[in-house]
Amino acid sequence: MQGITRLLCTSILTLTSPLAWASDANIQARQQWYEGIATGYQSLTTEAGELAESARDYCQNPAEGSREHVEAAWLNAFLAWQKVRLVDFGPVENNNLSWQFQFWPDPKNLIARKAAYLIGNDEPITPSVINQSGVAVQGFPMIEYLLFDQEFNAGETSLPVARTCELLTNVAGHLKSNSDALMAGWQAFRPHYLETEQYFDTTIRAGMATLEILEERRLAQPMGLRGSNKRNPYIADAWRSGKSLQTVAATVDGLNRYFLPGLEISLEAKGASDLADRIRKQFNEVQQNFPGAHLPLATALKEEDQFRALQSLYVDISQLTTLVNDQAAVALGVVRGFNSSDGD
Amino acid sequence: MLLNRRALLKVSIAGGVAVGLTGCSLLPRKASVQPDGYAGAVGFPDGSFGVSAFNRNGRIVWQAPVDSRCHSGCNRPHQQETLFFERRPGWSFYVFDSTTGARKHHISAEPGEHFVGHGVFSTDGRRLYVTASRYDQGAGIIAVYDAEKGYRRTKTFDLAGIGPHELTLHPDGETLVIGLGGILTHPDYDRMKLNLDTMDPALVLMNRHSGKIVGRFRPPHHQQSARHVSVSGDGRVYVAYQHQGPLYETPPLLARLEEGTLREYRFDEDTRTALANYISSVVAHPENDLVAAASPIGGTAIIFRGKTGELVSRAHIADCAGIQTLAGGDFLVSSGRGKLIRLGAGKPARELADLSVHWDHHLV
Repeated sequence: MQGITRLLCTSILTLTSPLAWASDANIQARQQWYEGIATGYQSLTTEAGELAESARDYCQNPAEGSREHVEAAWLNAFLAWQKVRLVDFGPVENNNLSWQFQFWPDPKNLIARKAAYLIGNDEPITPSVINQSGVAVQGFPMIEYLLFDQEFNAGETSLPVARTCELLTNVAGHLKSNSDALMAGWQAFRPHYLETEQYFDTTIRAGMATLEILEERRLAQPMGLRGSNKRNPYIADAWRSGKSLQTVAATVDGLNRYFLPGLEISLEAKGASDLADRIRKQFNEVQQNFPGAHLPLATALKEEDQFRALQSLYVDISQLTTLVNDQAAVALGVVRGFNSSDGD
Repeated sequence: MLLNRRALLKVSIAGGVAVGLTGCSLLPRKASVQPDGYAGAVGFPDGSFGVSAFNRNGRIVWQAPVDSRCHSGCNRPHQQETLFFERRPGWSFYVFDSTTGARKHHISAEPGEHFVGHGVFSTDGRRLYVTASRYDQGAGIIAVYDAEKGYRRTKTFDLAGIGPHELTLHPDGETLVIGLGGILTHPDYDRMKLNLDTMDPALVLMNRHSGKIVGRFRPPHHQQSARHVSVSGDGRVYVAYQHQGPLYETPPLLARLEEGTLREYRFDEDTRTALANYISSVVAHPENDLVAAASPIGGTAIIFRGKTGELVSRAHIADCAGIQTLAGGDFLVSSGRGKLIRLGAGKPARELADLSVHWDHHLV
């Protein structure tokens, strides 16, 4: 009798312990993600502050080297954004902050049109004007346009013309203020994120969506692997600065730092340590393509040798996407479905 | 949102593939027009889109390609015509022969306008009413077409509001029941929501002849996007919201129109959580007092009693979205994972079919 009771207890334990584990792991994963994302947001705030300061310095005194300083600060801040771009929930949803940081894609070239309008206008460019000008004006792509667009920079209104400087410094100030708001929002979001179990699925889905966008829209489509079969660097992000692939590297780095640790915890709790290992190794495979793949996308699409390097990156990212979006998602029971990602 | 191409690639739809009925030889009859046929918008393996119709034997009757993803559709009364509307921002709608799938008309949106995925016919099958948006002004409208004249545009009714979505016809045959989501979007900005702080959603009742708004009922919370609507056989009006606030808030998502106000249903906390602030379809059964709603984000379908709000069924169905009423009093729920599930009051959910397609939001 005692033996049977013990056997029953063992069975019940066997049945319940994975569930208990999974639940604990769910909480642990969210804690891990929370802290990681907080680190990423903090870094964005710091870099956005540097950008605002360097833009101000440059416009006050466009001394030799100061423009390069702004360009470097823009890149650092933009890469910091790329690392946390995976987060599509929580305070980044407020006031379309995500879109404000990066308006993309821009098939109608609204950024150039809005810049021409604002610069050509007589109204002073103030923080309030930026605030009301819409997402095409408010983020990194606008500053990239002012700093790197070839046609614009060959024209009479190129930096450091006063009016363009007004636009540059105010957009940089807006970015800084949005980064601060995002960080403060994330801190206030902490109890909700940690107490609401559904944010587990939300976070996994966010990672999956990021990988899918990386593979499809940031690589396959510009590489001409879909639809028209035409290579087109202009549909990638950051084409004006030639940093499209560097931003890809930063997004992968962000996923590796801020998303992977929580994913590993969850997979290990589900007894899928092998899969967690394979995903970790695949991240390394992807990252080994860099910095070799840091060349401008336009160059990589033109030169066959370079294109092969790009193909290799694409294959590695594609394999990573399969591991996470198919295998890990199934192991964790997370659905990113045809309808659930529709929004209607 | 980006289509999950990876998932689509795994789907193996070939021409004439069978639905794969499980455990029964016939699908139930629908409790609506064209009761022996079903149709829905689908995604194909190569990333293209279509409309697919199947019969009660589970055989694909036809599949028609479309230029971009469609959302919902409607059958034309007294005629063998099935219409499908492109997903928001929709630049056209299609008119198919219900028996062959042959494309009879392809009607483009007027310049400066786009459709949003839904339309409904007058009971005589002559007038078609389509929800649409004049996007530069952000003005929600009802576009009226004359089906007998090759779907010529005849009228435009202003909704005095933003973001209309689903509409249906009240059993009085005169009143359009319209979900006005209140969310401003513009095709230049993808699907970005431009006015979450100032949304003004409503359930709108409109006379279908004059376009006069005869009722406008606002949800208690301005972020309750009143997107989907349904009317029971005896004229009770239901509305389903998509809450635009954070996930940790779980306000009511379903309401009925009663004595001039929207009376919300308050389900238990588990059910509210399971609905994940998002309802993709609400359908009142024409034969009884039951109402079904589906949430693909929560992977949950429910049935409740319209009069009392008593929850009589709740099922976990991954990516469920479409709902049809079945003759006899049950509901059929479709999912993006190819399932067709029969759901009724007080009985367990039963899987009727496992399809090799991703059905889109609404089953027609």
